[in-house]
Amino acid sequence: MNTRFSTSISTSTSTHASRSPGGRRDDRKHIPKADRKGLYQRAIRASFTKLNPRVAVRNPVMFVVWLGTIVTLLVTLNPNLFGTVQAEIGKQRLLNGIITCILFFTVLFANFAEAVAEGRGKAQADALRSTRSDMVARQLLPDGRIQEINSTELRRGDQVKVIVGDMIPADGEVIQGIGSVDESAITGESAPVLKQTGTDIASSVTGGTRLLSDELIVRITADPGQGFIDRMIALVEGAERTKTPNEIALTVLLAVLTQVFLIVVATTPAISGYIAGFLDHAVGAAAGNSLRAGTSIAILISLLVALIPTTIGGLLSAIGIAGMDRVAQFNVIATSGRAVEACGDVNTLVLDKTGTITLGNRLADEFIPVNGHSVQEVAHVCLAASVFDETPEGRSIVQLAQKLGAKFDLDESAEGIEFSARTRMSGTDLNGQEFRKGAVDAIKGFVRSRGGQVPTTLDEAYEQVSRMGGTPLAVCQGNEIYGVIYLKDIVKPGLRERFDQLRRMGVKTIMLTGDNRITASVIAKEAGVDDFIAEATPEDKIDVIRSEQAQGKLVAMTGDGTNDAPALAQANVGLAMNSGTQAAKEAANMVDLDSDPTKLIDLVTIGKQLLITRGALTTFSVANDIAKYFAIIPTIFAAAGIGALNIMELKSAQSAIVSALIYNALIIPVLIPLALRGVQFRPLTADQLLQRNILIYGLGGIIAPFIAIKAIDLVLPLS
Amino acid sequence: MKFNLLNRSRLLLQSATPVLETIAELWTAWSRQKLPLYLFLALCFNLIVAPVVYAASGNEFSHIQAWALGLLGLATLAISIYLFFVMFIPEKF
Repeated sequence: MNTRFSTSISTSTSTHASRSPGGRRDDRKHIPKADRKGLYQRAIRASFTKLNPRVAVRNPVMFVVWLGTIVTLLVTLNPNLFGTVQAEIGKQRLLNGIITCILFFTVLFANFAEAVAEGRGKAQADALRSTRSDMVARQLLPDGRIQEINSTELRRGDQVKVIVGDMIPADGEVIQGIGSVDESAITGESAPVLKQTGTDIASSVTGGTRLLSDELIVRITADPGQGFIDRMIALVEGAERTKTPNEIALTVLLAVLTQVFLIVVATTPAISGYIAGFLDHAVGAAAGNSLRAGTSIAILISLLVALIPTTIGGLLSAIGIAGMDRVAQFNVIATSGRAVEACGDVNTLVLDKTGTITLGNRLADEFIPVNGHSVQEVAHVCLAASVFDETPEGRSIVQLAQKLGAKFDLDESAEGIEFSARTRMSGTDLNGQEFRKGAVDAIKGFVRSRGGQVPTTLDEAYEQVSRMGGTPLAVCQGNEIYGVIYLKDIVKPGLRERFDQLRRMGVKTIMLTGDNRITASVIAKEAGVDDFIAEATPEDKIDVIRSEQAQGKLVAMTGDGTNDAPALAQANVGLAMNSGTQAAKEAANMVDLDSDPTKLIDLVTIGKQLLITRGALTTFSVANDIAKYFAIIPTIFAAAGIGALNIMELKSAQSAIVSALIYNALIIPVLIPLALRGVQFRPLTADQLLQRNILIYGLGGIIAPFIAIKAIDLVLPLS
Repeated sequence: MKFNLLNRSRLLLQSATPVLETIAELWTAWSRQKLPLYLFLALCFNLIVAPVVYAASGNEFSHIQAWALGLLGLATLAISIYLFFVMFIPEKF
């Protein structure tokens, strides 16, 4: 939104929509609701399909487990395949068989976690797909004739006529007409939205929505398959999902850990063979053979699987997919997982004042007369200047003026003067009389151009309104200034607490407004933002984003107008409003279907939650290794004199290995709900979060497996 | 005589065409399927590795065990190379 436009005089942002975006967010749901019936059955089927090596190879940790399963299966069939076993063949086969089963279920559980997350996305995509169907479009030919064609034949640049009751065949822009559109199919909001030509932000229509009144001529802006709903389906389904930078970094870490443990385990037989040879001479053949038995292929693979971070390896993609899903449930469509993740790393939020920090509908609260005029005279001029103004601000001026007894006879010769960003004023021309209201500077210039004088009391009234945090609008008739309108700005409730939370998380908030410095400082103080830029132009948005980025910060911003597009593209996180222009939506990396700019704050929370969840589960997974290490190593190398390290006092090497592997497999499905829901978010600084995570997931990750492995060992009948 | 030879050649060519097509199809499928090719190469390479394993182990392993161990060693090496790939081009995985 043009900031100067928005704050100097009545805005058009709230004129296009008859719904209020600030409504209860909890009530908002996609219509139709995603059908999640049969989700788990489908996920079970998919977890088997994902055993295909071509699919499995994409997850390095689980692929190693999968290959390990094949090898243990071979030694189950023939325990002597890789060397003559020391133990009884039947017993060894049973142990190898149990290990094979557990490893197989470990892979299946990891596949299941991913399949459940994907299934949720697919269910949402199916719900969206049900809103889209082939329909007949009335294409407007260059000679003015109308030809009925299938909507899939429409191409960018084509013009179509949409009449009441019709579905809009494809994404486009209204070039003629005015009408109410039901966008509930994509936004979940049942209230219709007014679409009209000529306005910057109300002319964009989405394919699959329904025209409820009148007629529209729409210019198509998207080729088939490239429309908004098509892109949404592809994104929610995960068809275009690519790894985010954090996921890539974590994948590298997991691959390094797996490589290190692979080398450790692969070299273990050589080392243990050397020690066994030493034991043969020093203690006796029994001790040496016991050590050799501990390094059978099945046990080495078990050791490898227990040591590599299978928990996070199995849940990593599920966490990422669930993050996208959470954003989609918030009625926000992200163009990539990278955008969602960037939300979590954001350092600076650039927010518009009107509609984001304050309620969009500013209302006239008082008329302050200047130049010796009475309140009634000011009310009369205000009424005359606002009679054609259909914005909420304009209507509130009319109401206040009428309340004060003002009357205005409108005849056919009256002509409305529309607001423009250039003139920054609007008004009415009637029988040679010019009634104007607008930014104080603009009205001063207008009066001077008509040969009038600017009274000194105007600046006093202007400052008085500004100090109250309101927006002052001057009114004049011809070359005479009559007074100042006090447009009251109301800060959205609860925002101060949200900004405090963001500050605690280390996120800086900057308010941009076209208002004067005094008004901006009062609102900034009341809302609790960290910084503000007054009398801002659209170019200032880009400047502030660039200057923050130059300091190495990540910046998020919202916008809906065409003039916001460059800033949305420049920002690390650009959130466009669904009611905005096509240019804004294309430049941004997220689109809010509810057109609620305050949601940017929630997105930061979701992004942080995604990163925290991933970090917490990685910490937990790596911490688990310590317990598994203490369970397996002391028991299989007990003959080498490290039996004292068996602090859990596990019954035997077999029982220890099987217990550790069962825990390793079961922890994946146990953590699926946490991976999908995300860990509980708390507004803390990065250091506090790190301490908290290390305490809960690090320490918990060490203690929990000790208890669980011991419990499994007690229950297992192995000796 | 000449005519008969020409005719027979033509018939031979006609009957050979489906066979050639099948061979071409198999070759295309073969070049598309990398995994069987790699497995085949590993088995071939194991013909060199297995005797080395057998020789190094003395009489501890049988021929089959040496052959299996050789393959296991190659598989471990392949996993290690694969993990290096993941480390250096992680975006592909």
